[in-house]
Amino acid sequence: MSPEAIGEGVGASLRRKEDARFLLGRGRYVGDIRAAGMLEVAFLRSPVAHARLLGVQKAEGAESRVFTAADLAGVGTIRAPSALPGFRVSEQPVLATGKLRHVGEPIAACLAPSRAAAEDLAAACILDYEALPVVADMLTARAPGAPLVHEHWPDNAFLETFRDEDLSELDSIAAAKVTRRLRTARQCMVPMEGRGVLAEWDPRLEQLIVTTSTQQPHVIRTGLSEVLGLDEGQIRVVAPDVGGGFGYKGILSPEEVVCCHLAMRLGRPVRWIEDRLEHLSANANCREHHYTVTAWADAGGRLLGVDVDATVDSGAYSLYPFSACLESAQVGSIFPGPYTLPRFRCRTVSACTNKPPILPYRGVARTGVCYALETTLDALARQLGITPAAIRLANLVPPEAMPYRNLVGKVFDSGDYPQALRRALAAIDHDRIAARRAAGECIGFGLAVFCEQGAHGTSVYHGWGIPFVPGYEQATARFTPDGVLEIRTGLQSHGQGMETTFAQVAHEVLGLPTARVRVVHGDTALTPYSTGTWGSRAAVMGGGAVAEACRLLGERALAIGASLLQAEPGAVELSGGAVRRRDGGAAVTLEEIARTWYRRPQNLPRGVDTGGLEVTGGYRPDPDTGTHSYACHAVTLRIDTETGEVVLEDYLIVEDGGVLLNPMIVDGQVLGGLAQGIGTALYEEMPFDEAGQPLAGTLADYLIPGTAELPEVRIDHMETPSPWTRFGQKGLGESGAIGPPAAIVNAINDALAPFGAEVLDLPASPARVLAALEAARAR
Amino acid sequence: MTRLPIRLTVNGEPAEVLAEPRTHLADLLRGELLLTGTHIGCEHGVCGACTVELDGAPARSCITHAGACDGATIRTIEGFGEDAVMAALREAFSAEHALQCGYCTPGMLVAARDIVLRLPGADEARVREELSGNLCRCTGYRGIVRAVMRVLEERRGR
Repeated sequence: MSPEAIGEGVGASLRRKEDARFLLGRGRYVGDIRAAGMLEVAFLRSPVAHARLLGVQKAEGAESRVFTAADLAGVGTIRAPSALPGFRVSEQPVLATGKLRHVGEPIAACLAPSRAAAEDLAAACILDYEALPVVADMLTARAPGAPLVHEHWPDNAFLETFRDEDLSELDSIAAAKVTRRLRTARQCMVPMEGRGVLAEWDPRLEQLIVTTSTQQPHVIRTGLSEVLGLDEGQIRVVAPDVGGGFGYKGILSPEEVVCCHLAMRLGRPVRWIEDRLEHLSANANCREHHYTVTAWADAGGRLLGVDVDATVDSGAYSLYPFSACLESAQVGSIFPGPYTLPRFRCRTVSACTNKPPILPYRGVARTGVCYALETTLDALARQLGITPAAIRLANLVPPEAMPYRNLVGKVFDSGDYPQALRRALAAIDHDRIAARRAAGECIGFGLAVFCEQGAHGTSVYHGWGIPFVPGYEQATARFTPDGVLEIRTGLQSHGQGMETTFAQVAHEVLGLPTARVRVVHGDTALTPYSTGTWGSRAAVMGGGAVAEACRLLGERALAIGASLLQAEPGAVELSGGAVRRRDGGAAVTLEEIARTWYRRPQNLPRGVDTGGLEVTGGYRPDPDTGTHSYACHAVTLRIDTETGEVVLEDYLIVEDGGVLLNPMIVDGQVLGGLAQGIGTALYEEMPFDEAGQPLAGTLADYLIPGTAELPEVRIDHMETPSPWTRFGQKGLGESGAIGPPAAIVNAINDALAPFGAEVLDLPASPARVLAALEAARAR
Repeated sequence: MTRLPIRLTVNGEPAEVLAEPRTHLADLLRGELLLTGTHIGCEHGVCGACTVELDGAPARSCITHAGACDGATIRTIEGFGEDAVMAALREAFSAEHALQCGYCTPGMLVAARDIVLRLPGADEARVREELSGNLCRCTGYRGIVRAVMRVLEERRGR
């Protein structure tokens, strides 16, 4: 369709409504909000990874402003169970009791009128502890005699899963077999704004008002009510502007609980703002997988079977609400990737260690899985002497098989996976790569193909048994008396542009100009329940819910409009923001209908729908097993074999997100994810020493990509509608972050192949590239 | 703790505040003067979210001692209302989808305005190099670089 035909609705690259306030510096983040009488919190945190906590000597003369676990009567622990068989749930104290289990674990809250003064208090406290042996590595965490992170557990594992299958005959029939041991780094999410919370007790409403930097206000409210022992109605959670999340803000944090308790107890507003040191060293941990993968293929590259042994370093506690197995339990279900894998054996372990708990990060499990599978496929292709493209084309789910149910029960909704790969290949100048290589340059080309399940719902999550299960996503649509449409959603927009895309959806259904649509989100008092923004679900679930609420509101408006037009309901229709007689006669605008309902009801007959112009609609796709967007990433890079530096020269993404609600915003999601994926591939690593001490405490040590690290990027959209969603859209918010480590390391190993060298561990830093070359020379 | 008087001109208005010697400029702007458009991302001068204009040049307010700014002239994101270059950058940032969560945006705009004025002939590679001290975790930078290039090219075309 032409831009004119699309207008402002679904498919338009409409500029964002939210931009204006941010461009003027008028965004309002939690750190910008102050309350009269507010106290700031600094946390005294554990300096060691594992110790028995013997006592805290509070800052002299300020004992009444320092709070330890002993002062928090009535506050529970954070428990995030899972119903998966054998799962061990941890009890996470909001302030440490008895033991210290990771560096940075909060021990005491110190309150003062300023953060600096609160930090002075924390520095004046004296800790008494007895150091214990440390569990610093996931692979030795379960070794006999290893110290126990949770002493009443038999070993250091939250969960072990096993999917068995007999692979014994494959050795004798396969033309190729490879085994790879691969490791991905522990990372930090690093949204530019860290976490932060301002808690206030409102004595008039008898309600705790919690302004917090979260992606999931309703889930945080549930979690707070459980830990604090309050009714949910006594808690209002408000997410103001949130400066990036990427999963990190999809958790209930001990700091939130402590601030809430202290605000109630002291009758004063209490605020904590995470600084970057806290973020990096104490809180924002994610990823860190280890894989042993064996794969067998026939001479044509057809996969015969895959055997996976995966360990995830889950850290010390199970995070609320997603639990400690959020990464490992998914490994088994997503490892087959976009392929028609016939046999699959998989064992996973969520190891418990003396590190901060791992939390969700864009791509959750998929980034590591894609890395392990796609690099193993390339190793198989090298052994068989076929191209990376050939081995993928031999195994990708063909379009005629859609919808396709794979051997672990994942259902792919639609698309042409081989076509994505072919389009990528066609856009690459292979002759030029070959010519440069012949001229002696160290050039590599790499591919990754993967799919991303998004917006999966009840049927997927109920079996997982974590603290929430997403059901019908709801949205409220209502007219204000002046005819402005308000959309209320329990999702939370922190960069995704929902204030714009949901207005576009409303425009699509009701025809109102988007300028007359106002989207309200992220506040439990103002919005219907939602599990929030995670799992690439907002476009599908929120888009569907907003459309349904608008459809229902439209029916109400139609009835009123028909009455005003003195027509039978069947003789009118809704189009272009007005109710019109189908015979082309008179019309009445939605604005006029709103004005009449609220302010001139005398003009309406009795018997008009008493529900008025406010309605909540619910939406859930059928089936609700999720959409599968998919992509092919293709990268060309060069390596400086003297320094180990990798320079990305060309990056191409062929992506199928179904129908794009706002293509500009979709590209923004893909590009932002890509930058994070490049960070995972080449730069980002939170190392720990043997004592469990994190070694990167600033953004000068923990490197995230900047402008100079990003290559020119080409994005090619295929738009195969999902047959199951309201507009055919698919979730793809995480996609960009999934493929890069696999594609980039495949390209690196392509470039290193003439040297007989191969990189196995992430990130592929200059040191690792040089080490791979050195190891090859030594062989 | 001792509090010292500091006299500044902020966004064209004189201001006199008392601050502890350890206070950095970003905290002073945000806390004492309620200019919360200046954001704090790292407090080590790495991320650039706190970039303001100090005596006509961009500066990291998180590693600038407030006490060292006595007599200085400061402009924050709130102080560019009448500035034509900033207006063009704001328009270009929106058109090129150069922002998502908005947290890095004020610092990014102040840095971008300096590039446009100081390096009118800059090409994309130079713009990328110049912006390398401002981190964004949302956009992947393409929109930001394109927005700065758009303003540079508009001005070159005049």
